[in-house]
Amino acid sequence: MVFSSVVFLFRFLPLFFLLYYVIPGRAKNGILFLGSLFFYAWGEPVYVLLMLFSTVVDYIHGRLLERHRGSAAAKRVLLSSVLINLAVLCFFKYADFLIEAVNGAADISIPLLNLPLPIGISFYTFQTMSYTIDVYRGEAKVQKNLLDFGVYVTMFPQLIAGPIVKYRDVETGLHHRKLSLEGISNGMKRFCIGLAKKVLLANNIGELWVFVSGMEFREMSTMTAWVGILAFAFQIYFDFSGYSDMAIGLGEMLGFHFPENFRYPYISASVTEFWRRWHISLGSWFREYVYIPLGGNRKGRLKQLLNILVVWTLTGIWHGAGWNFLLWGMWFAVLLVLEKLFLGKVLSWLPGVVGILYTMIAVLLGWVLFALDTPGRILGYLMVLAGMGSSLADAQVLYLGRQYGVLLLFALAASTPLFKRAAEELGRRRTGAAAALYHFGEKVIPAVLLLLSIAGIVDASYNPFLYFRF
Amino acid sequence: MEERKSAFFTIMLLASIILVFTVTDLIQGDRTFSETEKRMLKTRPVFTWDAVFDGKYTRDYEAYLTDQFVSRDKWIRVKTCLDMLMQKAELNGVYLGKDHYLIEQHLPGDYTAIQENKKLLLLEKLVKRWDAAVMLVPTADNILRDRMPAWAPYYNEADLLDRVERQIGSEHYIDVYSILRQHAEEEIYYRTDHHWTTLGAYYGYLAWTRAMGREGDIYDKDAMELVTDQFLGTLHARVNLNMKPDSIYCFPEDPMHPVKVTYDLKDTKDSCYEESYLETRNKYGFFLDDNHALIEIETDYRNGKTLFVIKDSYANCFVPLLIPYYEKIYVMDLRYFNGRLFGFMERYEPEEGMDVLVLYNCIHFLEDFSYLE
Repeated sequence: MVFSSVVFLFRFLPLFFLLYYVIPGRAKNGILFLGSLFFYAWGEPVYVLLMLFSTVVDYIHGRLLERHRGSAAAKRVLLSSVLINLAVLCFFKYADFLIEAVNGAADISIPLLNLPLPIGISFYTFQTMSYTIDVYRGEAKVQKNLLDFGVYVTMFPQLIAGPIVKYRDVETGLHHRKLSLEGISNGMKRFCIGLAKKVLLANNIGELWVFVSGMEFREMSTMTAWVGILAFAFQIYFDFSGYSDMAIGLGEMLGFHFPENFRYPYISASVTEFWRRWHISLGSWFREYVYIPLGGNRKGRLKQLLNILVVWTLTGIWHGAGWNFLLWGMWFAVLLVLEKLFLGKVLSWLPGVVGILYTMIAVLLGWVLFALDTPGRILGYLMVLAGMGSSLADAQVLYLGRQYGVLLLFALAASTPLFKRAAEELGRRRTGAAAALYHFGEKVIPAVLLLLSIAGIVDASYNPFLYFRF
Repeated sequence: MEERKSAFFTIMLLASIILVFTVTDLIQGDRTFSETEKRMLKTRPVFTWDAVFDGKYTRDYEAYLTDQFVSRDKWIRVKTCLDMLMQKAELNGVYLGKDHYLIEQHLPGDYTAIQENKKLLLLEKLVKRWDAAVMLVPTADNILRDRMPAWAPYYNEADLLDRVERQIGSEHYIDVYSILRQHAEEEIYYRTDHHWTTLGAYYGYLAWTRAMGREGDIYDKDAMELVTDQFLGTLHARVNLNMKPDSIYCFPEDPMHPVKVTYDLKDTKDSCYEESYLETRNKYGFFLDDNHALIEIETDYRNGKTLFVIKDSYANCFVPLLIPYYEKIYVMDLRYFNGRLFGFMERYEPEEGMDVLVLYNCIHFLEDFSYLE
């Protein structure tokens, strides 16, 4: 089930939260667990068993870690947990990619498995791994209640697209969480904003990218290519951060506090900064469970640079089983290394706008690798970007500006803290017209966004039959 | 305290939006048909475990809920208004042109050279075998260029027509493009529909008389009669905006010269115009009873001449203008015909031969013109 659907907003959401708020205390976890299973099974009626398998396996490993704490066996238990999680992830996500690679290299033809990817598997396996590793390290207490542990793994808000919530982030929340009017109201507002980002911005701007990426490259002007990839950058940001907002909002409505996942990444003045603002929960997961265990920056420059390369290659491949994702990760690894070596210093001497521009270009070129899947298309698109298009600019790009200009301006403004700052500024006033405006706006704007998003969701299925078309 | 109150109001407001629409959606019954979209709406899928396990049940259920959602048409209207606010120049493949013109979008990349060549060769074969005349009518985007949104791209039909003329030879080619461009300021296309108007067809007819060397202009365009002023066509259905309906006109039939029109060899009428369509949404169906595989028109102009028209729906308001020139007119729509075309035509060809006319709009020609010899 996706959040931006009629079935979620007008069936699951009201029914679930009515039950959740009515049912007292500890029993809330029961309804949350059952609700989450239903939510997942709606889209994955078979793979829901795989998720339950993961849950039970990591629950047992947690208990075993507790029993063998301090002994050599604990290490073996941890290893077993990590291997099982990675094996599940690799089997479902990377098997065909690896088979293709082997087939290509050895000129043989092992048949592909063609398994559909279980929704959210990359997110929940990372969550369960964080649990066993933290228990092993003694940074989280073992969870003895299978239901509570199940709630952690299957909880529907962040199950499908993150943020990746570490066990210790919600450890106390699993037993004691306080529901407050303020929390619920903030959560609802956050959800509406996220929904609008997804439905009103991402979906509409996505049309522009679909159009540009569907063009013949030899008929594309350089400006069109830049507008196209900018559209993709906005689409993926509002899609992903909108989903995170909705997850965080729903979490607050449940009484949980999930970590933030995005902090206006497109205003970053370096790639290093970009990765502190983009998909933060993934970045911090890799940092904590891969980069630092590998030695981080404590074992000399060379080792550190190597570690960066490893972590970002993994980050790339985490996003999908394809060479382009690998390349995308490595592109950032190279830039991060350069910034560590000298580029960061140079940027700090220059005015901030240069850094923002450099980062934007680096990220946009990255999105070309991310969004296009074959080497030929990637290369073709990069060449158009570099000025080898049909022309520098043409009527086409003017028309696209005419059609999408207002939307692009909205998207641009919404990807900076502009609206947030304005709201904070108003919110600081205690009296007078400004205060009244703030109190009015903070209620009405989310409501309007919600209504417009519903219109967007219903409209997406508008499909007039043109019976007298011919 | 103040904050708690504020939070309470926010919760009430947002929750009531969700709850009101949930409850009203649950209460209202299902519709089977959408008047706006002119299609059957999805109905509640049948529950089977097989459908559940392969994911089909939940997919169908979601489509069903969305199709049946309360006030569906109003939500769609809201989204359209939002798009207009965002200054969009195109919705659902339809340009929002100046003077309230809706213009169907055809993009330069929509048709490949291979596709064009295939159709050209097919056309040439027909022309060579039957000495046919060819009228390809440009669509509104190519003619009403001044009414298109600024910089809007369109598939260039002038280039296509140049190639058609070269391929079949100019003695077979009737140039409708030039005359329509000359009259682009007039009402030659509907505002809410993708067809040309009767006035547009009249200019097409002038081009035909000139090319065929016929006595021209036996019609007075001021004598056209209003048929309905309530026509909202296909393009309107696609954007679903509040619009002033179009008017449909026709040249009145001459009572001194009755016609006999036979549809698909069975239903015979005494007019080219079918008024019953004016009560439906498909008001353009007024001309030649919408679409039929074969229409046979017998006139009382006893000149022994026969015309065979191979056409799309653009011809429906055009063909009646040719009545005074022929004793018999056969009108064929290839989409509804599965036999071998040439053999079929030979059966209808009288001994003294017949004229053959191919009439399509440029887009339908590229998309739908095909036959087996």
